[in-house]
Amino acid sequence: MPPPVRRRALVLVLALGAALALAAVAYAGNGGFAPATPHSPNAKRINDSYVWISIFTGAIFVLVEGALIAFVFKYRRRGRPRTAEGPQIHGATRLELIWTAIPVVILAVIAAFIFYKLPGIQDVPGAKAEGGPLIVKVDAHQFYWQFTYPDGQISIDELHAPVNRTVRVDITSQDVDHSWWVPELGGKFDAIPGHVTHTWFKADQVGTYRGRCGEFCGVFHAAMKAVVEVESQTEYAAWLDTAASELGRGEWVGSCAKCHGLQGQGGFGPKISNNTLLTQGQGLEQLIRQGRKEMPPVAHGWTDEQVQALLAYLKQSVYKGAASGG
Amino acid sequence: MAVRANVEPYRPDWRQGRVMSWVTTTDHKRIGILYIGTSLVFFAAGGILALLMRAQLAQANEHFITKQSYNELFTIHGTTMIFLVVVPIFAGFANFLVPLMIGARDVAFPRLNALSYWLFLFGGVVLYLSFFAKYGASRSGWYGYPPLSADMFSLGRGQDLWILSLHLLSLGSLIGAINFLATIHNMRAPGMSWMRIPLFVWSIEIYSALLVLVLPVLSVGLTLLLLDRQAGTHFFEPQGGGNAILYQHFFWFFGHPEVYIMILPAMGIISEVIPVFSRKPIFGYKAIAFSTVAIGFYSMLVWAHHMFSVGLPNFLNVFFMLSSMVIAVPTGVKIFNWLATTWRGNLIFDTAMLWALGFIAVFTIGGLSGIFLAAFPVDWQVTDTYYVVAHMHYVLFGGSVFGIFAGLYYWWPKIFGRMLDERLGKVHFWLVFLGFNLTFFPQHMLGLLGMPRRIYTYQEHGLWQAYNLISSIGAGVMAIGLLVFVVNVVQTSRKGARAVNDPWLADTLEWYTTSPPPPHNFEQLPYITSARPIRDLRRRLAEARV
Repeated sequence: MPPPVRRRALVLVLALGAALALAAVAYAGNGGFAPATPHSPNAKRINDSYVWISIFTGAIFVLVEGALIAFVFKYRRRGRPRTAEGPQIHGATRLELIWTAIPVVILAVIAAFIFYKLPGIQDVPGAKAEGGPLIVKVDAHQFYWQFTYPDGQISIDELHAPVNRTVRVDITSQDVDHSWWVPELGGKFDAIPGHVTHTWFKADQVGTYRGRCGEFCGVFHAAMKAVVEVESQTEYAAWLDTAASELGRGEWVGSCAKCHGLQGQGGFGPKISNNTLLTQGQGLEQLIRQGRKEMPPVAHGWTDEQVQALLAYLKQSVYKGAASGG
Repeated sequence: MAVRANVEPYRPDWRQGRVMSWVTTTDHKRIGILYIGTSLVFFAAGGILALLMRAQLAQANEHFITKQSYNELFTIHGTTMIFLVVVPIFAGFANFLVPLMIGARDVAFPRLNALSYWLFLFGGVVLYLSFFAKYGASRSGWYGYPPLSADMFSLGRGQDLWILSLHLLSLGSLIGAINFLATIHNMRAPGMSWMRIPLFVWSIEIYSALLVLVLPVLSVGLTLLLLDRQAGTHFFEPQGGGNAILYQHFFWFFGHPEVYIMILPAMGIISEVIPVFSRKPIFGYKAIAFSTVAIGFYSMLVWAHHMFSVGLPNFLNVFFMLSSMVIAVPTGVKIFNWLATTWRGNLIFDTAMLWALGFIAVFTIGGLSGIFLAAFPVDWQVTDTYYVVAHMHYVLFGGSVFGIFAGLYYWWPKIFGRMLDERLGKVHFWLVFLGFNLTFFPQHMLGLLGMPRRIYTYQEHGLWQAYNLISSIGAGVMAIGLLVFVVNVVQTSRKGARAVNDPWLADTLEWYTTSPPPPHNFEQLPYITSARPIRDLRRRLAEARV
C-alpha cells in the first residue's frame, strides 16, 4: 500500500493525463490539431499519414515532457547546499544505445507508412473508365490563377470541375514563383516559370473549395486566392459553354481589379477608369504583356483571344470616358 | 645653463581612450562583448519588426501597416534574426569563451577577429539603411527567391543592398569561423585533449566547420543573383535560359546547415548549464560530442526538404525525407542525455537552469513538428503555412534564443563581473516562456486551418481571428518579459552583486580566472586531467584541507 501522498500524486497525474487526452480528442478536428477535412483521395491519404505520425510524436511528447516534469519535481533542491552533488554517473552505454535504436525503429515505421501511402497520393489515377483524367492547365500570374480546359476554354481564379472525376492539374508560372494549394483537395505544388509540376484531385462532393497561393509572390500574395467549383457533370458541361462569354469579366476582376479597383477607381494601382489607354488596343496590349515598373506583366503568355476579350470588356464596362476639363 | 631637451608634452596613446580602446581592440573578450552587445541591439530591432507584424495580424482586415511595408518587415525580421542576432551572438559567446575554456591567451588571429566583428557591424548597418532606399528595403523574403528578387519584380536598390549586406556578413562569419577552428585546433592548454574540451567548444568547432563549408555556396548564389540584377545575366531567369530552381539549391545548401549553425551552439550552452545546476557530470559526454558531429554531417545532406513542393524527382524527395528523419536520431540522443543528466541530481533552479530546462521543453515540440515536415506528402499540406512559422520559431526561438539566455545568465558574472538579479531573471524567464507558447503554439493550428505565411492580412473571422489575436497577445507578453531583462541589465550594471571567480561551482576552465578575466586571461593553469578541471581542483583542495 503506497503512502497517501504518493497516491494523491498518482491521482493528480492520471487526472492530468485524462484531461490531456480529452483535450486532444476535442482538438482532433480541423481548427485544432488536424489538417482540413479532405475531399479527395490524395488529401485523405495525406491526412492518414499525418495522423499516423501524430501517434508516435504524441507518445514521444508525453514521454519527454513527462520525464522532464517528473525529474524537475522529484530531484529539486529541497534546501540542499550547492556543494551537494548527485551521483557522479558519466553515462551508460547500453541505455544510450537503446535510446538511439528506438527512434530509428520509430522513424522506420513512419517512413514505411509514408511509402505505403505514397503512390495513392502522388500518382495520378489512370481513370480509364472515364477516358483518362481531365487535364487542366494552371498558369499562375501575379496575382491570379488562370485555368485552361481541354477544349481551350479559359477561366480566371475559378476552376470548374465535375464531381467524382479525376482532374490532373499541370502547373506553371508566367512570372514569379507561386504555389497551387487547395487544402481539402491535396497538398501544395509550386508554380515555377520554366517548369511544369503536376498534381491531381478527385472531389467526392459537389461544393466550393477554397485555395490560396502558398509561395510568397509579391505585394498581393494575400489576395491570390483560387476557388474550385465542383459541380455535377451536366452543370460543368453547361458552364463550359458559357466560359467564353465570361472571360473578359473574369480577366478584369482577377488580373486588373485587385490593384485598380472593381470600377477602375484606383486602389493600390492608379485610377484607370478614365484613362484613354483602355481604348487603345496596341498600347494597352504592350503594357499588360510586358509590364512597366510597378505594373507586372499580367498578360504574359495570353492568347490574342484573351487580350481581345479583355479589351472588349474594358470598352463596354470599365471605361468611363476621358476626364473632362483639365 | 639651460637644458635643452627635445621633450614632447605627454599625450596618452589615442588607442587608450574610452571609446577608441573598443574601436581598436583585438582582445577576444572585448570583441566578444562587442559581438554580444551589437547582436542584442539587433535583436531588439528585429523584435520590434515582429511586434509590428503581430499588430497588423491581430485582427482580420487590419490596416495598421501597408502591404509593401509588411513585406519589408518580414524580410528584414528574418534576415536580422538569422544573420544579425543568432549567428553573431554565438560568435560573441565563442569569442569570449573558447580561449578561456581551452586555456588560451587569445584567439589564433586577433586582428582578423576584429575585422570579422566590424564586417558584421557594417553588414547590419547596410541592411537597416536599406529601408531608406527608393522603394524601401528588400521585400522578397529572407531567402529572396528569384524571379521575385530579380530586377523586374523587385524594383529599387533594396534587394541589391540586401545582397551587399549578406556578402559583408558572410565574409565576417567566414573569417570568424576560420579563426575559431585555428584556435581550437592549435591553442588548447596542455592536457586539454579532444575528449576533455567543454561540449560548448565542440559545438563551436562544428558551428565553424559548417560556416566554412556552406557560406561560400551562399556567396555564389547571391553573386549570381546580383549579376542577374545588375549585369543582365540570366542564371536564374527562365526566359533567358536560366533556372529559377537552381537558386533554391544554392540557397538551401547553405540555408539548412545554417539552421544547425544556429542551434548547435545553443545545445552546447545547454550541455554546459544542465550538469552544473544538476550537480552531476554530463550524461554521456562522448555521445553528446559525437551527436554534434553527426548533426553537422547530416545537416549538409538535407537541404532539399525545403523544396519538397517544387516538384523534384521522386527519388530525391525520398532521399531528403530519409536524411531529414535521420537527423532526429542524434537530436533525440542529446535530449535523452540531458534528461538523464538531471536524473537523481540536486537541481538548482537558478535562472540559467530555468532557460535550459525551458529549452528542452519547447525544443522537443519543435523537433517533433519537424518529423511531420520531413514526411514530404505531409509537408505538401503544411509547408509555407503558419505551421512552418510555428515549427521554426519553436526551434529557433525556443531553441536558439532560450539557449542564448541560458548562456547570458550563466556567463554574465564572468563577462561583466556582476551577478544578474535572480528575481528579475525569473520574471523574465516566465513571461517569455508563457508569451512564447501563447504566440507560437496557436500558429500550428492556424497553419492547419490554411493560413499561408507571409500574408499581410486575412478576411476570415472565427478561429483564424481568435488564434491570431492570442498570438499577438503572446508577442506582447514576450516583449514585456524582454523589457524585464533590459531592466535587470541596467539595474545590476551598477548595483549588482560582485561576482566571485566561480559563483556556480562550475566545471570548466573559464571559472578558474577572475570575473571579469584580466587581459591575459590566466596567471597560470591548473593540471587538466579530465573534462571538468575546476571540479577536480575543488576536490583536490578539499582533500588537502582534510
